[in-house]
Amino acid sequence: MTAYIVRRLFATLPVMAVVALFVFFLLRFAPGDPAAIIAGEDATAEAIAAVRAKLGLDRPMVEQFFVWILQLAQGDMGVSIFSNLAVTRLISQRVEPTVALTLSTLFVAVALAIPIGVVAAWKARKLVDRLVMGFAVLGFAMPGFVLAYILIYFFAVQWQLLPVQGYRPIGEGLWPFVECLILPSVALGVTYMALIARITRASMLEVLAQDYIRTANAKGLATDRVLLLHALKNAAVPIITVIGIGIALLISGVVITETVFNIPGLGRLTVDAVLKRDYPVVQGLILVFAAAKVLVNLIIDISYAFLDPRIRY
Amino acid sequence: MSVAVGNILEVRNLQTQFNTLDGVVRAVDGVSFDLARGETLGIVGESGCGKSVTALSILRLIPPETGRIAAGSIKFEGEELTTLGEEAMKRLRGHRISMIFQEPMTSLNPVLTVGTQIAENVVRHMAVPWRAARERAFEMLDLVRIADARRRLDEYPHQLSGGMRQRVMIAMALSCDPQVLIADEPTTALDVTIQAQILQLMLELKEKTGTAIVLITHDLGVVAETTERVVVMYAGRKVEEAPVEALFDEPLHPYTRGLMRAIPRLDVEADAAGTRPRLQEIPGLVPRLTQPIPGCAFAPRCGFATGRCAVDPPPLIDAGAGHTVACWEVERVRASAP
Ligand SMILES: Nc1ncnc2c1ncn2[C@@H]1O[C@H](COP(=O)(O)OP(=O)(O)OP(=O)(O)O)[C@@H](O)[C@H]1O
Ligand code: SF4
Ligand SMILES: [Mg+2]
Repeated sequence: MTAYIVRRLFATLPVMAVVALFVFFLLRFAPGDPAAIIAGEDATAEAIAAVRAKLGLDRPMVEQFFVWILQLAQGDMGVSIFSNLAVTRLISQRVEPTVALTLSTLFVAVALAIPIGVVAAWKARKLVDRLVMGFAVLGFAMPGFVLAYILIYFFAVQWQLLPVQGYRPIGEGLWPFVECLILPSVALGVTYMALIARITRASMLEVLAQDYIRTANAKGLATDRVLLLHALKNAAVPIITVIGIGIALLISGVVITETVFNIPGLGRLTVDAVLKRDYPVVQGLILVFAAAKVLVNLIIDISYAFLDPRIRY
Repeated sequence: MSVAVGNILEVRNLQTQFNTLDGVVRAVDGVSFDLARGETLGIVGESGCGKSVTALSILRLIPPETGRIAAGSIKFEGEELTTLGEEAMKRLRGHRISMIFQEPMTSLNPVLTVGTQIAENVVRHMAVPWRAARERAFEMLDLVRIADARRRLDEYPHQLSGGMRQRVMIAMALSCDPQVLIADEPTTALDVTIQAQILQLMLELKEKTGTAIVLITHDLGVVAETTERVVVMYAGRKVEEAPVEALFDEPLHPYTRGLMRAIPRLDVEADAAGTRPRLQEIPGLVPRLTQPIPGCAFAPRCGFATGRCAVDPPPLIDAGAGHTVACWEVERVRASAP
């Protein structure tokens, strides 16, 4: 298993290399001259040329690329054009809120979706199933920001139970941290919850019709053991896949959510950097997002091997 | 009605039905039989005649969404099973009555180890800790002659051959010393040599444990070699029942005679695929079970049929020495050459 994980980790390197290549050239060919932007609105041609030389933008493209890759390999993503801070530092400052929001959303979604899906499959076509799945469809149809405003109206404004928006780092205490995450996580999570619940139900229904479930019942096993061990473990692969897709969507979705809930994470950093054409920061962010998705993909793949002994590694 | 001494299982007028898009399927339509302690009873009949549904009805494993036991009685040790609570029923399953299924390739859970699947049955019914249950699982694997049983405990079903999986199923079914083992075509999916080994194993274990066996098969060859008494089913009904020698000496139902003619001759037994062909050589089709069948279900295919056969259902007639048959023309059948 360890050898398998190491092998899979190495297999991600070519993917990341392609992403790096893409990022590098995308920004080199994008409209707008970074040197001109940095030098300021009414800089002279000489001043712009000086800036260009300083940034190495006057060198041949290939040389620039290798310099960039070598720095990257050492963990150096360059310096922000505007704040003059290292890109790695800018990003690492903003990572915590984004990771916290992604994980808490995922937790809300999965913790509700799996029991809902299992019960719905168990009581398929009965009242419980219809009710629960009806809610799931509703949750799926409702745009996250609409739900966000409804939740904010009741929980934050009317009853004043939770903060309206904002973020408190975990260093300031557990409850303030959790308190700020509840509404955004629920608002964001409902869509994923609905999605995961549906796939759980479908996958469980398929598994429950299998011969080995009849065998488990012929042993007189308790219902919870049949459902949660014999069936759910077999149903897990599609569920995990959808959870993985959910995480990928969440990572892309942080830009909007962080704006709605005023959370100072990577999403907000991205918006700012793009608007200001802060190329080194944008490059760094794209790489970090890509790496996160590749990592999620890897974890999902590895979990398949844990869940299903027939998957060879 | 008093419980006959020695009968562990008594099935009376069992009727099991399914709701389908074509209407109500009467899969089992009034079947009765007894199983004595330690006995081996065979149930034979063509595909679709209701053998598996009979077996699943006894364990009350008919899928409740579509099927139900519509009438009849199933008594296990004098206790009525058709009305028993679900929890009590669960305590019987896998413990007092267990079952082996037709498809060894799909009847074991692919993501749980063999050891876990045997041991969980023991933990459930014997109230022993996991460690002891695993030890029991090891003993059982050893008993069904799986080599290197200790290592096999931690293997998954896909690592085993079909024959080995069926051995695992047997080990699992016998792990709590059941009084009744229902084996639903346990060897149909296996090739001939393995078939013989598995049947041999089941009979040996039966000698050791005294478990009564209901052996379901469509293979009269298997019936002849392994059972003491035989129930012949046709279209959800019992058409004949007899001690095995009597049935082979003098089959009294035209359908049973048809089945016997369809037995592959011994010298051509092992065909290229290594399996015995299914019994479908009797001309004509099995009736649709969605319509009530007024007379004898076999009438459309029967060479002895008279006008009465299509109208009045023949009652079971006692032909002496435990031999019963449901046929109006039994005397003519008896007089004709088999
Ligand atoms: N779940 C179900 N829903 C509807 N009809 C069913 C169901 N299970 C069985 N039947 C019907 O009941 C009848 C008897 O089926 P059963 O499985 O008992 O046959 P069998 O004698 O075991 O045949 P085989 O030798 O093929 O295993 C068949 O006509 C079948 O179509
Ligand atoms: S009752 Fe009539 S139709 Fe049925 S088996 Fe006997 S002779 Fe044939
Ligand atoms: Mg069957």
